[in-house]
Amino acid sequence: MAKHLLKLVWNRRRTNILIVIEIFFSFLVLFVAVTLGAYYAHNYRQPLGFSYENVWNIAVGSLLELNFDRDRDALGARANITKRLLATLRDFPEVDAAAAMPEPIFDISKSTQTVHYKGRRVGATVNAVTDTFKDVMGLELVRGRWFESGDDALSWDPVVINQRLAQELFGSEDPLGKNIAPPDEGRESRVVGIITEFREDGELAGLDNYMFTRKKLTGVADDFAHYIVVKVRPSTPTAFQEKLMARLRAVGRDFSYEIKPLPQIRKSFLRISMAPLIAVGIVAAFLMIMVGLGLVGVVWQNVTQRTTEIGLRRALGGTAGSIYGQILGELIVITSIGLLIGTIVVAQLPMLGVASFLSINVYLTGLGMSLALIYLLTVLCGLYPSMLATKIQPAEALHYE
Amino acid sequence: MLKNYLKIAFKVLLRRKFFTFISLFGISLTLVVLMVGVAFFDHSLAPHPPETNAGRTLGVFLVHFTAPGGRDSYSFPGYALLDRYVRTLPNVEKVSLYTFPTTAVSYKDGMPITSYLKRTDGEFWQILGFDFLEGGPFTSQDEKDGNFVAVINQTTRKKFFGGEPVVDKFIEVDGQHFRVVGVVPDVPMLRIVPFSDIWVPISTSKTDAYRKQFIGSFMAMILARSPADLDMIRAEYRSTLTRVEFPDPKDISKATGEAETLLDIVARTFLLDFEGKSPARRFLAWLILLMVLFMVLPSINLININVSRIRERSSEIGVRKAFGASSLTLVGQFVVENVLLTLVGGLIGFVLSFAVLHLIGSSGLIPYAQFQLNYRIFFVGLGITLFFGLFSGVYPAWKMSRLHPAVALRGRG
Repeated sequence: MAKHLLKLVWNRRRTNILIVIEIFFSFLVLFVAVTLGAYYAHNYRQPLGFSYENVWNIAVGSLLELNFDRDRDALGARANITKRLLATLRDFPEVDAAAAMPEPIFDISKSTQTVHYKGRRVGATVNAVTDTFKDVMGLELVRGRWFESGDDALSWDPVVINQRLAQELFGSEDPLGKNIAPPDEGRESRVVGIITEFREDGELAGLDNYMFTRKKLTGVADDFAHYIVVKVRPSTPTAFQEKLMARLRAVGRDFSYEIKPLPQIRKSFLRISMAPLIAVGIVAAFLMIMVGLGLVGVVWQNVTQRTTEIGLRRALGGTAGSIYGQILGELIVITSIGLLIGTIVVAQLPMLGVASFLSINVYLTGLGMSLALIYLLTVLCGLYPSMLATKIQPAEALHYE
Repeated sequence: MLKNYLKIAFKVLLRRKFFTFISLFGISLTLVVLMVGVAFFDHSLAPHPPETNAGRTLGVFLVHFTAPGGRDSYSFPGYALLDRYVRTLPNVEKVSLYTFPTTAVSYKDGMPITSYLKRTDGEFWQILGFDFLEGGPFTSQDEKDGNFVAVINQTTRKKFFGGEPVVDKFIEVDGQHFRVVGVVPDVPMLRIVPFSDIWVPISTSKTDAYRKQFIGSFMAMILARSPADLDMIRAEYRSTLTRVEFPDPKDISKATGEAETLLDIVARTFLLDFEGKSPARRFLAWLILLMVLFMVLPSINLININVSRIRERSSEIGVRKAFGASSLTLVGQFVVENVLLTLVGGLIGFVLSFAVLHLIGSSGLIPYAQFQLNYRIFFVGLGITLFFGLFSGVYPAWKMSRLHPAVALRGRG
């Protein structure tokens, strides 16, 4: 049966090659869209590792001061500012806790670092935070401890890492107390605690190794941190922002401030992160519509052209079902050829290492779903024309022309 | 002759309505997607008011800074570099310095209002031709004296004052109080040179630190006396950058870059080509290639359908051939028919694009975007439509015109 269908398709190869090309292209685009969607969906289901409810973000400074970090005078002038701002914030009864850090949450910017252990090198996203950060963000500690004020006196730097980094760097060994600084680094960085997770790039971003270092506020120029997070009491009104802003402006006159609730930042960041998916999705949908319409047209045309052939089959006892089977079967063979080429192309991606951020599960889900969608589309597009084919009367068909 | 062709074409279109629908749908949908893309491009990169002097204006955007160790970076230049070396360029009419728009927070009745704030000088208003709804611009003297004056846009006036006349009223932005001197219409956000909600003098910045910066967040506009001077100014700017003396040569030792248009810098950013000749042409070529790629599938679709439709008419072809019509005449006829079809699709596409662009504009997705279909976009759309008509018509027509009359007369393609 399949061999027979292949032969029928081969006999009309001139017409069919165009459909194969169409199917091939739309499969590629659909694969990108569906895989990206599956990737996002997979990421979205993983826990964030922190809570953003009732957390407000304060950005300190402005773009105008982008390159202040090069300017030593300016740095000296702001040595104590972060410490003073934090103290001011804690005075408000509406504020439960406040912490400072250089890298923002729910933002594409981040800094990365390589950590070392027994010759193994692993990359990790890193952020330097003050001691109260765990309380503000509600981090979940799995083992060891979080930073504390006594750490000021240590002769080494304490770090807290997430479970993924612990697993990747130490395997089955106990990470606590181990040094993970590069071998040529004079000062040691020792792991003091392990947290479940901290996904600062939000729900849609891939899972990442993460490391916290401790931000000391000892009155040197490096103390300055661009971001402050504040845990406010539940149901604090938005109007409190203005009060907060007035105090901040009074304490650090030289700076601009922007206060925004973290849920609001998350929402707009999610929207931005979705943009590539939406763009690919629109293109894919557009191509699917094109291909669908084209298929209907071509199959319909096929059917009208082959009236005699179909009529003859009916006259010789072919049932309506077998006609359906033939038309749809041919269509499926054509589709399969296009999809086969497409799958061969797509299969090169993991081998070339292009899609290394995709787990094998996500990749296979994307592949399976896009194959299924294309088959569904072709069958749907073939249904109406093949119904027309079954309506052909043998008598009418045989004296056609 | 042509009239006959058109008549036949029209009849053929009506004969198989479903196929006509598929063709028209495909053409118009493709056109909508492409037109929206072109309108976006035109909206953000082609000269529109208030850039009334675009023909003789150059911009300074990114500068390539090199450190002695070979470390380098592309950044916006700082105020000091532009003030000392670009404002003093010879043979130019005017130079304006301005910052990238930054967000600034104000409070009204306890609720935060976030606006974009651009700091600039008096020349900004002389180079750009803003239409003032009320009041006027601030001047270079205001900038020199550090006066707290502001120009705001229409939307800001509405947000803060409910649309009342506002000249000489005060507005609080980022904790500073400014006297409003003028109101201008909204400028679309994608036009980063003029765009902002609120414009204030540079000298009202909270600190003076910017005055010493060589790397920073400033840009410059250079207005030439005539378009013919532009090349000279480019060369002058290039050589001036080589003479820059940096305060700390151990930190940055060299600056290179070009005075160029917004299109040039966007092309550079996309193609990561920051040196030498502008890659704007290469960028445009890439965009056109992308457009063509996007049209491949709909074109194959059209070809598919056209092959089927023409095949139906093989007896007509046979008759015409038998009476001596040449292949060329037949190709001509089918191509004219197909172009007519695509033009109808193009017309529908134009109407739909207009609706979609209006929808995007009014959705507020992109602040202050007002997409208009101007003659540039119209010609691109027409070009796309004709490309479709020819590309998808020639192959099927050529194929059918080669039929042997005897075979064709029997009606079997």
